[in-house]
Amino acid sequence: MATAAIEHVPEERKAQAPAIHLQQVEKVYRTDRIETVALQNLNLAVGEGELLAIMGPSGCGKSTLLHLMGLLDVPSRGRLLLGGRDMTTAGDRERSRYRNAAIGFVFQSFHLIPELSVLDNVEIPLLYRRTTAGERRRLAQAALERVGLGSRLHHYPGQLSGGQQQRVAVARAIVGQPRLLLADEPTGNLDSQMGDEIMALLEGLNQDGATVVMVTHDPRLSQRAHRTVRLFDGRQVQ
Amino acid sequence: MLKSHLKLALKVLRRRPFFTAVSLVGIGLTLLVLTVTTAVFDHVFAPYPPEVRQARTLLLSFTELSGDQVRSRSWPGYRFLDSLGRGLPGVERMSIASQASSAFSYLNGSRVRSYLKRTDGEFWRILAFDFVEGAPYGEEEVSRGSSVAVINQTTRDRFFGGGPALGRSLELDGRSYRVVGVVRDVPFLRLVPFADVWAPLTAQPGDGWRRELLGDMMGILLARSPADFPAIRAEFASRLSGMDLSGTPYKTAYARPQSLLDTVFEIMRVDRSAIGILAVLFFGFLALPVINLVNLNVSRALERASEIGVRRAFGASRRNLVAQFVLENVVLTLIGGLLAFAATELAMRVLTASALVPYGDFHVNLRIFGWALAFAVTFGVLSGAWPAWRLSRLHPVDALRGSLR
Repeated sequence: MATAAIEHVPEERKAQAPAIHLQQVEKVYRTDRIETVALQNLNLAVGEGELLAIMGPSGCGKSTLLHLMGLLDVPSRGRLLLGGRDMTTAGDRERSRYRNAAIGFVFQSFHLIPELSVLDNVEIPLLYRRTTAGERRRLAQAALERVGLGSRLHHYPGQLSGGQQQRVAVARAIVGQPRLLLADEPTGNLDSQMGDEIMALLEGLNQDGATVVMVTHDPRLSQRAHRTVRLFDGRQVQ
Repeated sequence: MLKSHLKLALKVLRRRPFFTAVSLVGIGLTLLVLTVTTAVFDHVFAPYPPEVRQARTLLLSFTELSGDQVRSRSWPGYRFLDSLGRGLPGVERMSIASQASSAFSYLNGSRVRSYLKRTDGEFWRILAFDFVEGAPYGEEEVSRGSSVAVINQTTRDRFFGGGPALGRSLELDGRSYRVVGVVRDVPFLRLVPFADVWAPLTAQPGDGWRRELLGDMMGILLARSPADFPAIRAEFASRLSGMDLSGTPYKTAYARPQSLLDTVFEIMRVDRSAIGILAVLFFGFLALPVINLVNLNVSRALERASEIGVRRAFGASRRNLVAQFVLENVVLTLIGGLLAFAATELAMRVLTASALVPYGDFHVNLRIFGWALAFAVTFGVLSGAWPAWRLSRLHPVDALRGSLR
């Protein structure tokens, strides 16, 4: 099966290897008694600089697909290439390093650490790089300013609204300047106005060059993506 | 990263105060027992004055003589030590002294007991007593059999009301001694130097003690260096095997120059191999609170599954997570260790004030603090490693969902 065309990617980037390339990927979850096929025979290429939406009903495998793209899980079958590099059989250390260097995540439920200040939360990805404390602080501050929270550096997550918490999560995702941003229902816990703000942020980041893959239930958001992939029962249907 | 993890560790401890308190009580009690034991051990064995040359000192203590139908095990007598211990290679000085034994006096109509130790003149040159008055007696007084004595401060206070004692006399077991020196009290548990009164070996009626193979004496050998110990032991063993036991019911003799620690083990009839058993007991003692803390740690850390997932997502390797959680646990046990150290200081003061051990001056010091620190870190690593390893194995996706796979 041919991989999907990449129409919205700027001309100069089309020559590059896709940011993400899944080839005949299958993901099966096994327990003692039950075998659940979450994804089957999936072929997908996401171009550098693309903004891709993944849609589909609950349980269709959207999050599983995002986890595979983010190297948080491994395919049961098939190949996964990120930036032209085969990561299918990479070990824990290599995957951790790649995630740290090239991938940023935004989760539906934010996953901020309540005991840490906003600034400390945003610094987390930089802790696993050779970055000085001063540099970490500077980068985290810049990321928070970018999402409009420059005045909330020393607040704690519990002191912020849901929208603000998700902005902190976006700042954390971009602080390491990743090439790939993966967002799992980033507006799922927000009202429509806050959702729009977060979407605008993701669009801005995409315009600055990041490849963005976003799982969403919201058709309004998917309309703002370059392309939408629809899943049903673990298969790509559109 | 270290600062960030430390900051988080302290905040996590404040998150569940009850859990933290329970953990700290368990850790603190365990470390308290270990630290108190260490402090008592330190009190008995550390090289405090007057035993400042302990590292170069060997003792000749228990002696065993065996014949066809007889076997005697006792402290050595003067003859045994005098004939075998003198002039050993590598020995700078040798002293022969008795055990501290009870001697009685009558003060204002009351019978008073003192511990009397009989020594030679070298005793004062091997051990560095702190004289508050006068000076020790020397070989000259010993060879003349002078009835002179060195007493400790408590004896001075008891007999002379705290006033100067030099030149004054006190009577012990019906014999009068002139005080030539007063030293600071030495704790009862200090086997080699302890006494209330020290007098020349010769200041006693008769000289039968000079002919005894077994008695209540102890040989104190001050080597030039610990490196001389093997040669000293080898020469002593050689002399022992050639010892003339004719005219006695014995055919073989056993004794060995050994350290203070080995001597105490021998007094307690504990074999050196028992150290292994003690080590097992030590770790056994640690095991229960460690297991308890492991369980507390796992349940605490599972509440942080989301954090684990986030850290994994943003690039933390398993090794990073293990380091973080072990560090957090070490912070917890270090706090427990500090509490235990403070409680040990209190326990030492109570023990000293109780006078349970005569002249006991129990206290904590830098060395004990170092041990307490080492116990706390060991405890922290032991109880933190397994939960940390287990948490590091959490699947990132499950961790983000807050469930275990």
